[in-house]
Amino acid sequence: MERTLFLSGNEALAHGAVRAGARFACGYPGTPSTEIVETAACLDGVIAEWCINEKVAMETAVGASLAGVRTVVAMKHVGLNVAADPFMTLSLTGVNAGLVVVSADDPGMHSSQNEQDNRNYARFAKVPMLEPSDGQEAYDFMAEAFALSEEFDTPVLLRTTTRLSHGRGQVTPRVTVDVEPREYARDISKYVMVPQYARVRNRLVLERLRALRERAECSPLNVLEAGTADFGIIASGVAYDYAREAFPKAWFLKLGMSHPLPYGKVARLYQQVSRVAVVEELDPFIEDQVRALGLPVIGKEALPADGELDQELVFRALEPFVSRRPPRRRRPTPPPVLRPAPPAPPAAQLPVRPPVLCPGCSHRSVFTALRKHRLAPMGDIGCYTLGALPPLLAMDSCLCMGAAIGMMAGFNKALGRKAAAAVIGDSTFFHSGITPLVDARYNEAAGLVLILDNRTTAMTGHQGHPGTGRRPDGSAGPAVDLQKLCEGIGVRCLTVDATDFPALDAAVKGEVHAPGLGVIVALAPCVLTYRPAPGRVDVDAERCNLCGLCLAIGCPAIASGDGAITITESCTACGLCVDVCRRGALTAVGVET
Amino acid sequence: MNGITTVALAGVGGQGILLAAAVLAETAAAAGLDVKASEVKGMAQRGGSVRSTVRFGAQVWSPVSPHADVVIATEELEGYRALETIVPGGTLVFAATTHILPGGVLRGEEEYPGDLAAFAAGREVRLLPVDAELLAHEAGSARAVNIALLGAASTVLSFSVEAWRAGLAAAVPAKILAVNERAFALGRDAAQQEVAS
Repeated sequence: MERTLFLSGNEALAHGAVRAGARFACGYPGTPSTEIVETAACLDGVIAEWCINEKVAMETAVGASLAGVRTVVAMKHVGLNVAADPFMTLSLTGVNAGLVVVSADDPGMHSSQNEQDNRNYARFAKVPMLEPSDGQEAYDFMAEAFALSEEFDTPVLLRTTTRLSHGRGQVTPRVTVDVEPREYARDISKYVMVPQYARVRNRLVLERLRALRERAECSPLNVLEAGTADFGIIASGVAYDYAREAFPKAWFLKLGMSHPLPYGKVARLYQQVSRVAVVEELDPFIEDQVRALGLPVIGKEALPADGELDQELVFRALEPFVSRRPPRRRRPTPPPVLRPAPPAPPAAQLPVRPPVLCPGCSHRSVFTALRKHRLAPMGDIGCYTLGALPPLLAMDSCLCMGAAIGMMAGFNKALGRKAAAAVIGDSTFFHSGITPLVDARYNEAAGLVLILDNRTTAMTGHQGHPGTGRRPDGSAGPAVDLQKLCEGIGVRCLTVDATDFPALDAAVKGEVHAPGLGVIVALAPCVLTYRPAPGRVDVDAERCNLCGLCLAIGCPAIASGDGAITITESCTACGLCVDVCRRGALTAVGVET
Repeated sequence: MNGITTVALAGVGGQGILLAAAVLAETAAAAGLDVKASEVKGMAQRGGSVRSTVRFGAQVWSPVSPHADVVIATEELEGYRALETIVPGGTLVFAATTHILPGGVLRGEEEYPGDLAAFAAGREVRLLPVDAELLAHEAGSARAVNIALLGAASTVLSFSVEAWRAGLAAAVPAKILAVNERAFALGRDAAQQEVAS
């Protein structure tokens, strides 16, 4: 037995995958999935790549699987939407070497634009779904996932959630699986999905689903755990842990493989107890299927269908059912009237602390320049989405990765004038901003595209991307030149130093009044990636009239109180407040070190 | 629930909440307990409120809890915010001199709350204020506020000195271990004096 490790769920997934023979790991960074590829990149014998987006990651993974090496591809839940096109048909072609797709869902939306439950993708694509509930299972389930993938010739979807991915616990490494690379054999009717071949493969997928359901009946991942109470709980993922802590005496059907649902095991639970509840986060995924079997079940009428659960919430919601006497047979009883969960005690009136753009962040300059003009800024996903919050309020939309440019083009086309701009980060532009820019050029849309090039994927923790050339193991590769790329599309493009506010301001003003389509690359490295030269900003109290222009840039280093503006220690002397002050009351000063 | 201790760490993104949580988790593991910890990254980081939870006991199922036996707050306002989650008889260890003003307060739209002790009156919560900034400075790094507070909190958590030492060594990078060991010891001493006085 090896030494017990203390790992996050994501680290456990990466270690587990590599110990199960994975030799290729790829993805696109997205909270809460990012550390899976980052961890794999540090392990021996693995090729790890950040791909330009999740669709490309999925396709790259399929290529590696076909070539014969076990492969894991990881993305956040919304990333699977981007990769859904290859994923759905991958179900038909199947794999060569095992292929595990990790979807990191984010119940509670700690860092996401929606809360979709990606177990639905398993049903949609007719592939098996594994749901580990803690770090040890995250580690152990990988071996099972690869084995299932190869035995049933299918991609396997593995769902983690924020609490598992970013939770930590003890993990005991177990036996390493030794797998030889598989030979690639040309098989046109399996891998070329033209209609006549796809129809055949589709039949095989339906047969595979039946076989997988039989496997789910005997899989060691689906365990019927005996209890002492006349009450049973079906649960998967971290919801199992919450339920287990809330009801230690209940019977449990723990579903490590939640799709396809093992009907026989469900029936066996019902033989043991008179009342059954399903405890699952987000959609009534298991619950709906249990209901379809004609079985009475307590589910979303008692438990929320949004946000995260926890043991106290589960206890409060289900305790009324447990403490009731068993229902009499034959006469169906209406569901009991539930006491709603007691409202949380009134929160004290405390100032909220939302996340903010860092002191010295160059995004603030872009928003400050853009705000002067009557353009609706169509936003995108990254740190700069924080520009939508007070006091900047400089973003009108944020839909999904890469949406800004297409939305701008449609908005301006519909109104017949340059009424909207697009604000998009460098990594997001590479992810899915290039094709809408090509489209805007082709359809002759007018608009101003601001690419906020901070030379990194900042929000997820500073991963590299094609514009930087930096790989997940830290090594350097070739970088793609943003300006040349845009010019190659045939779009006017200007690169401006985003720390030079007057130059940036002039460039934005010029583009706002220029005809047609233009791109400004606002270039300045993320302040968290280097140490800014020490500096401070002095306030001339005589000149300051407390007009508040400097406060309106939303810098956490500028404070107002007791009739004065003060600059706090977190100032990087970026000088934006100096530039916006109309009375010359602020002066940036270099500090000798 | 069920003989499990829950410790929540509250602070502002960038204050080293995750490191302090890692030290605590490694310490509990070194003491032979089952441990689960939980944190939230991503959007929560850029200067927003950050919370991390460490739970330990003979067997721990859930990595989170809406309630805590002990809260360690590296910023006073975040201490206020966490007060309501502390169980009766629980303890709030907080950086009494660390005030990081949120945007609304910086712009003069809101007020930073006043006296935490008055705010806690009527609640069965023990307050353990620590001048963690001063202690961190004494230890040799302004960034060691987190570990100084952990040292103070060690007086209400029943781990041996050896377990804490092992926890620090396992979680803190070697380069900054000595500074953090000093900060931990200073925090522990300060809390013992606070209790004695």
